[in-house]
Amino acid sequence: MLDKEVVAQIEQIREADILIGIPSFNNSKTIGHVVRAVRAGLAKYFPDMKSVLLNSDGGSTDGTMDVVKNSADENLHTILLTQHLPAFFKITTPYPGIPGKGSAFRTIFEAAERLNVKASCVVDSDLRSITPEWIELLLKPVLNSGFDYVAPLYQRHKFDGTITNGIIYPMTRALYGQKIRQPIGGEFGFSGNLAKYYLSKDVWGTDVARFGIDIWMTTTAIANHFKVCQVYLGAKIHDAKDPGTDLSAMLSQVVGSCFELMEEYHDRWSPVQHTIDIPTFGFHYAVGLEPVPVNVDRLIEKFQLGVKDLKDIWALFLPEDIIATLIKRQYDSNHPFSISDEIWARIIYSFAAAYHKKIIHKEHILKSLTPLYLGRTASFILDVWSSGADEVENKIEQLCNAFENEKNFLREIWS
Amino acid sequence: MDVLKELFVEPFRVFFNDFMGYLPQLTSALCIFIIGALVSLFIAKQLPRLLAFTKLDVLAQRLDIPTLLYRGGIRDPFSKFISGVIGWIVFIMFTLIAVKALRLTPMEILIERFVLYLPQVFTAILIMLLGYLMANFLRRTVLITAVNAGIKSAGLIGQFVKYGIFFFALTVAMEQLGIGKDTVIITYTITFGGIVLALALAFGLGGQDQAKTYLKQRLSGEKDGIEHL
Repeated sequence: MLDKEVVAQIEQIREADILIGIPSFNNSKTIGHVVRAVRAGLAKYFPDMKSVLLNSDGGSTDGTMDVVKNSADENLHTILLTQHLPAFFKITTPYPGIPGKGSAFRTIFEAAERLNVKASCVVDSDLRSITPEWIELLLKPVLNSGFDYVAPLYQRHKFDGTITNGIIYPMTRALYGQKIRQPIGGEFGFSGNLAKYYLSKDVWGTDVARFGIDIWMTTTAIANHFKVCQVYLGAKIHDAKDPGTDLSAMLSQVVGSCFELMEEYHDRWSPVQHTIDIPTFGFHYAVGLEPVPVNVDRLIEKFQLGVKDLKDIWALFLPEDIIATLIKRQYDSNHPFSISDEIWARIIYSFAAAYHKKIIHKEHILKSLTPLYLGRTASFILDVWSSGADEVENKIEQLCNAFENEKNFLREIWS
Repeated sequence: MDVLKELFVEPFRVFFNDFMGYLPQLTSALCIFIIGALVSLFIAKQLPRLLAFTKLDVLAQRLDIPTLLYRGGIRDPFSKFISGVIGWIVFIMFTLIAVKALRLTPMEILIERFVLYLPQVFTAILIMLLGYLMANFLRRTVLITAVNAGIKSAGLIGQFVKYGIFFFALTVAMEQLGIGKDTVIITYTITFGGIVLALALAFGLGGQDQAKTYLKQRLSGEKDGIEHL
């Protein structure tokens, strides 16, 4: 799968201790900063290790790869207060396969396997808040403590990460019993063994090759009993996503991958009754976050449109009482707009069961979730409008409890 | 006596001889008919059990076939319905063979014509069924996409797609059967062309502002600042 030139470069390098992967697509404005942070992190925390940086690009047209190639060690001596900068290899390559983040990761896993690295990590190319310490935090648990998978833990704005907070975190936690707060965070550390295991799976023609990669990596690690931990990285601030990114497609790829994993690991999640904390590293500190503009009315409008036009499709797999509640919420001007935690948990579980039973075409099931997700997002935003960070975290905790309490409902409707 | 014999007994004798000569054909036709009835009955009763193993009903559910049957007044599961249809086809085939075994020339001609027309009927039925399935599938696809894009007339667009495809299938099926061939095609072309023109005019003249706003929003990428992942 790897490009011939890349294979030749890897053969020249032969072996390495660390591989840092940076997937990119038109990120020329930010990737230079990310590369400098990675370089500084490696020089500062792993000076004696042989390191390789691999930029796996999706065919950028704005010179992203040139920025990576040309980024020099400027100011690094003054940043690190040292004259000694250890050897550092840089590879840039366009990745083959389906265009998407997952395909970019596959190239990184292949390079990790060929280089026989001890530890790897991946960081997004649009990060503005990355510091050299992120590299230390993502790699050290693998190198020093024998962990196989390191998930990130960020401080994010209360309106951000709504797919994570509203669906993926509560669901992963309830299903597999481990409290990984950012299962689809974007930055991960992993061992050479886990990279090899990922490569052994034949999933590269599915949504895993796109936005489904993060949840797939996390779930595969948990479900196959790899040693998992999380590290506190501070604030996650990055460039706004491409406005053309289709929310519905993104939601469908992430949730679809989660549902596919439920099929594969039914024996693992079904008996799980309780959730446990996982080892967490890093120093917690408060950070300032950028404000997030949000138009709640528009979210509610899209939800109302969904209820009006899609309720007949939902009626094929959602319980009658939930349909009735949704219709009631549609134009209930007497109460503030709200979709409760219990109803939301049941909705997601019903969608998962419908996907499992193939009640209608899978793509229709997944795409029809969008208006409900927007409704639930609006409900959550209204609920936490004036809440502080701790209160928001408590609300998310309550939602997780609802997902755990409703797990029997999932077991009942699954078969 | 001979006269009497010739007048009364001979016709009976001739009839009896003819009947006896015809009896093997009649018996064979009757046997074929009875066997056909039993085989079709067996198929109608036992095939649903066999089909239950193939999860045909789950597949039918995914293709929205039960809704089609329900609208046609059929409450049975698809596997039972299809077993019944196969049973009836087998019964009709056996009946035709039985009638052919009687060797009645006018009936033979009729059956021949009927049998020659059957492939067209089956093709037309198949086209209609595929048209219905395709229409429903695409209606759902368009409806969900339009709702997710925030288009308020999503329901109407979905219905338009559904009936457009369904009537297209109907036109092809009618053409296959040779019923009002040219009339059907011309009617469809005029109707479809008329609707498209009417929509284009309505959107162009009546919905200029909405079109402008919609395109502006899409091209400028105006959206919330929420980072969903």
